[in-house]
Amino acid sequence: MTTRPLCILLCSGEHEKIQMAAMMASVAAVSERPVQVLVSMNAVLAFLKEPPDGARYHGGTYSGLMLEKGAPDAVELFQQGKMLGDLQAHVCSMAMDVGGWQEGDLVDDLFDGVMGLTKFLSDAEQAQFITL
Amino acid sequence: MTQRTKIDARGAYCPGPLMELIATLKLVEIGDEIEVWSSDKGSANDIPEWVAKVRHEMVGIDECDGYWSIVVRKAK
Repeated sequence: MTTRPLCILLCSGEHEKIQMAAMMASVAAVSERPVQVLVSMNAVLAFLKEPPDGARYHGGTYSGLMLEKGAPDAVELFQQGKMLGDLQAHVCSMAMDVGGWQEGDLVDDLFDGVMGLTKFLSDAEQAQFITL
Repeated sequence: MTQRTKIDARGAYCPGPLMELIATLKLVEIGDEIEVWSSDKGSANDIPEWVAKVRHEMVGIDECDGYWSIVVRKAK
């Protein structure tokens, strides 16, 4: 039986949504399920080596609890999913252009390159699609 | 000879214990066992579910004093 791929479009800069995307992506990837992630809009800020205001994550009450209690770091979860499973991550070309960023501005050991929405949607046609 | 590796993941939150198990599985030989200690309630269900899905083997699971001991055998 072929496992249906999982495609995650991550746009939100909210820590809670980035965390859930990271948890779903990493667990699915290590469960022999192909995963594709496209990071766009405010979510890109959390993946910059140097976030604009110095803080990688911004969110509500639960974000504070996760940081206080030491929940797994979202970016590290994505990286683990890539290292241990079948996870491909791309960053939205439009978001990079508008932000004026280059691929070298992003965290290491995660991204497979820049991708446009058309290609991502094409790849996602047969997949389960989740937007956060 | 079968080796058993212990992972003390008590205090780690989901999916930390599972990810530690998977990372360790990559390093051991087929037939070897890994014993995960986890205080994360979800791991008691999630790890057996993952083991069944990817076709390794559950050796056993015990609830201890505030944590679970979950033993997995590498099958492939």
